[in-house]
Amino acid sequence: MHEVIKRFTRTHEFRLLLVIIVMAGLLAVFTPEFASLQNLVDVLSANAFIGIMSAGLLVVIITGGIDLSFAATASIAQYTALTVANHFGIGWTGIFAISISLGVVLGLINGVLMNTLRTSALIVTIATLNVFYGVLLTVTRGADIFSLPDWFNAGFELVFHTDAQGASLAINFQIIALFAAFLVTWLLLNRSNIGRQIYAFGGNPDAAQRVGFNVVRLNLLVYGYMGALAGVASLVQAQLVQSVSPTALVGRELDVVAAVVIGGASLNGGSGTVMGTILGLALIAILQNGLILLGVSSYWSLFNTGLVIIAAVVMMAMETKKRHKLVVQGVTS
Amino acid sequence: MNRRNLLKLLSISALISSAVGIGYPTVASAAEPKVMVTVVKEAGVPWFNILNQGLEEGGKRFNLKTSMTGPAKADPAQQVKLIEDLIAKKVDVIGLVPLDTKVTAQVVKRARDAGIMVITQEGPNQEGKTWDVELMSAQAYGETQMKALAREMGEQGDYVVLVGTLTTTGHNQWADAAIAYQKANYPKMKMAADRFPGADFIDESERVTQDILKAHPNVTGIMSMGSNGPIGAGNVLKKRNLAGKIALVGTTIPSQAKAHIMAGVIREGFLWSPKEAGLAMTSVARLALDGAKFESGMDVPGLGKATIDSVNNVVMVDRILAINKKTIDDLIKLGL
Repeated sequence: MHEVIKRFTRTHEFRLLLVIIVMAGLLAVFTPEFASLQNLVDVLSANAFIGIMSAGLLVVIITGGIDLSFAATASIAQYTALTVANHFGIGWTGIFAISISLGVVLGLINGVLMNTLRTSALIVTIATLNVFYGVLLTVTRGADIFSLPDWFNAGFELVFHTDAQGASLAINFQIIALFAAFLVTWLLLNRSNIGRQIYAFGGNPDAAQRVGFNVVRLNLLVYGYMGALAGVASLVQAQLVQSVSPTALVGRELDVVAAVVIGGASLNGGSGTVMGTILGLALIAILQNGLILLGVSSYWSLFNTGLVIIAAVVMMAMETKKRHKLVVQGVTS
Repeated sequence: MNRRNLLKLLSISALISSAVGIGYPTVASAAEPKVMVTVVKEAGVPWFNILNQGLEEGGKRFNLKTSMTGPAKADPAQQVKLIEDLIAKKVDVIGLVPLDTKVTAQVVKRARDAGIMVITQEGPNQEGKTWDVELMSAQAYGETQMKALAREMGEQGDYVVLVGTLTTTGHNQWADAAIAYQKANYPKMKMAADRFPGADFIDESERVTQDILKAHPNVTGIMSMGSNGPIGAGNVLKKRNLAGKIALVGTTIPSQAKAHIMAGVIREGFLWSPKEAGLAMTSVARLALDGAKFESGMDVPGLGKATIDSVNNVVMVDRILAINKKTIDDLIKLGL
């Protein structure tokens, strides 16, 4: 146990955790609202969409890939599932089935292209982003869906407190989905044989192939998984905003990439943890929330957000340098 | 007829037709309608589909051959490329709804140098344009919104302003005008914090509104310049049963805001009609093609009296739409 803690204190996650604890501590002291349950519920629901996407993207990034098409995938999944729901009484099971299976299909297209073209994932997924998004805009002509079924708008939630005004505090659809996405991703990466293959493949694809991993299957799996989570996240988002807009999601990709990368995942593949991604997400979310609660002028908050991201990147660069130095020392001694 | 004769015949007919073109240019152009192509911010989105209806109506009315084009994703560099294509095609008039007036400044100048007229909308700062036409001044639009907010707040209390981003020119000009009007006319009202970005997206507006309610519990008024702001803020107010306590006004799209307007969550919304914007662009194009003299008080056909800013080449007509329980159904029928 002692050994485990000692090892943990040397990780990126540990430092990120320290920063977050200090930040949260200061915010709790200076703004009484920060540590309230209401705020916790607000922040979790508001960041559920980005969070679920970042869980999926983490898996892709660990394999050394990247996916920029997931927001377009989510837009298609959302639009299709809820258009069908508006015309047929398909219920929650129906919309989940449609959005997840569409997400998987579009994800598999990325996977197949990666396997057959063997080229940069960045190029492949930028191309599919444009194809998916283009098809969506052509078919929908950019029209929003303003009215959704009542059962969908109502959502589902476990109310645990109702205040004097009749406003309720609840563990809602967004929060449940967010935790489920992180839990499943953690199980996939840490408690399954496939998880080990994903790390090995990302660390050294050639070696992974030589020892006999089915690389084609792995690619299909990670991009399909990303697509499935995009499908889930799309419903989370639509329920939150109570409408569907084909143009609202595309353009948010970098927020998701930022959460994963600040969480310590390397874009070169082979490293990254669910814990780190959660912390990366938390850092951005707490910062956004805390600055408004502190009453910091919006003109300053952009600056502050940028500053913290730079600090995180500097921290990571220093770690990499140190590790590199250790390797060099190891080689020369 | 053998091939040589055919060639000869063809070249002669080509000569004749070009000679006609050179000899009688005025006759040709009087019969042919002038070609006007309008480059919008993003092709395929509902707003500009409705704007195109206005362009088509104006085309028939003012003898213009109109069409619309635009980038698939809102990208100013793509607008530049589209305008370059139109210069090469030698159209008579380019309509432009600019995304970023600085990016399009150079290409607008090239179009003008090539003798092409450039009519902009939502681009009063566009350098090099022939005329810009606006359906309301930033001043009037901001003041109208503030008057509605003050009325709903009983002319007292704390309020906040949401904008798309802190650099969205239109939103921030309207906000400036609204805030200045409050300071001059409603001394008992107070802006609780600097304006907040986020009003371009429903979810961001929800998040910002939730945080504002916690950070500034005395706020009783919210005004949003971006059209997704009232929807997001309205979702929060509705969920927390605060619609009676907090007045919400702002730019809204009628069909999107119907539920909130009818429930009284959004007290009043404001907008201008994209169809009228399209019509106005063609109307001003026709006036300019005919060499009309632009001066304040002149009539812009189809839209009424105009105010002219001859320093910045802006034609302004007053066409602000108020969206409330009474007007919303008719506006939705228009396709808004």
